[in-house]
Amino acid sequence: MRSYLIIGASAAGLSAAQELRAADPQGKITVLTAEEYLPYSRPSISYYLKSKVSEEDIYLRPAEFYSEKKIDVFTGARVTGLDPAAKTVTTADGRQFSYDKLCLATGSHPFVPPTEGVEGKENVVTFLDFASAKRLKEMASPEKHAVVIGAGLIGMKAAEGLVKLCKSVTVVELAESVLPSILDANSAVMVKEHLEENGISILLGNTVTRADSQGDTITSVELKNGEKLPCDLLVMAVGVRPETALAEKAGLRVERGITVDPETMQTSDPDIYAAGDCVTSVDMLDGSKKIIALWPNAVQQGKIAARQMAGKADRLTENFSVNAIDFFGLRICTCGLIHAAGDPYRELVRREGSVYKRLIVKENKLVGFVLINCIENAGIYTALIRSGTDLSTLQGDLMDMPTMLLYSEAERTSLLLGGEPA
Amino acid sequence: MKKVIAKENLCLNCRLCEVYCKTAHSKSKDPLRAYLNEPELQSRITVCGDNQKSVAVQCRHCDNPKCVEACITGAMQKDPVTGVVTCDAEKCIGCMTCLAVCPFGCIKIGETAVKCDLCQGEEEPACVKNCPNRALVYLEMGGKADA
Ligand SMILES: Cc1cc2nc3c(=O)[nH]c(=O)nc-3n(C[C@H](O)[C@H](O)[C@H](O)COP(=O)(O)OP(=O)(O)OC[C@H]3O[C@@H](n4cnc5c(N)ncnc54)[C@H](O)[C@@H]3O)c2cc1C
Repeated sequence: MRSYLIIGASAAGLSAAQELRAADPQGKITVLTAEEYLPYSRPSISYYLKSKVSEEDIYLRPAEFYSEKKIDVFTGARVTGLDPAAKTVTTADGRQFSYDKLCLATGSHPFVPPTEGVEGKENVVTFLDFASAKRLKEMASPEKHAVVIGAGLIGMKAAEGLVKLCKSVTVVELAESVLPSILDANSAVMVKEHLEENGISILLGNTVTRADSQGDTITSVELKNGEKLPCDLLVMAVGVRPETALAEKAGLRVERGITVDPETMQTSDPDIYAAGDCVTSVDMLDGSKKIIALWPNAVQQGKIAARQMAGKADRLTENFSVNAIDFFGLRICTCGLIHAAGDPYRELVRREGSVYKRLIVKENKLVGFVLINCIENAGIYTALIRSGTDLSTLQGDLMDMPTMLLYSEAERTSLLLGGEPA
Repeated sequence: MKKVIAKENLCLNCRLCEVYCKTAHSKSKDPLRAYLNEPELQSRITVCGDNQKSVAVQCRHCDNPKCVEACITGAMQKDPVTGVVTCDAEKCIGCMTCLAVCPFGCIKIGETAVKCDLCQGEEEPACVKNCPNRALVYLEMGGKADA
């Protein structure tokens, strides 16, 4: 009987555990997580903050799931040692676990740049896990001024969650646009205006240089341009870094993220796999190496790592970013190479009021899209990207809302009957 | 598992499947009252096209559903026994990542994701039952029903 060990119990870790059980009904499956909670939806923490999702609904699976599937999950188990020669790991509290096959699904950790007067203060939080969301929810109150550093996905979701709970929310961002990982320059301007209309102040090209406190509590922050803002709550959301400490200590190859074979998720040690935010991915659309810090990718990678660990031949055949998100009713859906510009890329753009559509085409294939308030059926575009369909084989105007009528009748019938496209 | 098959050559573009889908998922279960009192109702089946060419499209309840794989909250699940893919509205945050990956355009936008549930509990889905041209049929399609 094989013994499988997974470190990290989130998107990648849970997906790996579930897939291992499907692939190997007998194997021993153990999952270790530093957090105090069973696997929950990390992206839902901002919805928990604004009370749209309850504590009970944030969990990805009911607690019985793990006993039914014979998956042993140890919470509060932070792994501090990994010995690839002995094939064992040790936790901070001295427990030891051994494995035949190991999966590192350690995700990312917040990057907190050193800022004068911030360290050790009681009203500073990062916003990456359920514990921090709980803390933030306790701390937020109607008379407080909140400052969020960073206008990425995490910072903006924290700001959205706080806007009804605090007197003011100001986001300070060093770059010149919001949400650079999921928006192009045009849409970033539209989204920024929408966020401002909904009560979030956004200061671009600026950052917090220091904080002033009374005792242990920050009371104001000073910005790069000399301005001072009242601050009763400081959220540090500058960015995240892949959590690679264990892999590095164990001597695995790491280049920003853990280096893996992009098709098998195997690390430089044949018995150790890695998946999710902690790995360096290869974007199938342009072959570039990057960290794709998105939930669906972590799930897919965890699944493939598990198949491989169980001795199956499945490989990762697709890897590119797809993201859908909303802010105060504004619907955003983006996919693929959204920043690609110039030869060999061509773009199709339509903009009317608060609706924006940009398709990015390379050699007659769709390689990316940005959709604002026109996300209907976006998955059809995603499928065209995934399959590398030659756009000249399609019927009708690609810029209209995509439907199955884009395909020829024969193709459409086969897709709808087959259940799944190639 | 049993799935709904659309016969494109028989579709009249009458869109009664859409009306009866809304009715089946309404509080009143009456087409007129649902139309008047529940404007937020959405059809989970969509007739694409016009009077020349049309086809009704709804969730294929895939063996390996992209929407389930991509769901960031655990709301979208494929029932291990029935094979039906459904969205738990309590968990769903309405981010629409499922819509962003569904290759067929079968997820509708609402407060939460809205999709075909094959009228669970009914012998035959409402769209099939009420298609005047028998362009929709409910057939055993094979495919494993494991998650
Ligand atoms: C507020 C917020 C909103 C987001 N919104 C979206 C969204 O809308 N769409 C989207 O696609 N993505 C979103 N993301 C990103 C998404 O959550 C991540 O891509 C995803 O969680 C990655 O999953 P993972 O399993 O790789 O790692 P993680 O979710 O980071 O989990 C890693 C786990 O491993 C544990 N761990 C790490 N080291 C150790 C150790 N040594 N021992 C034991 N345990 C360890 C950690 O405690 C953690 O629980 C969002 C993230 C945040 C924070």
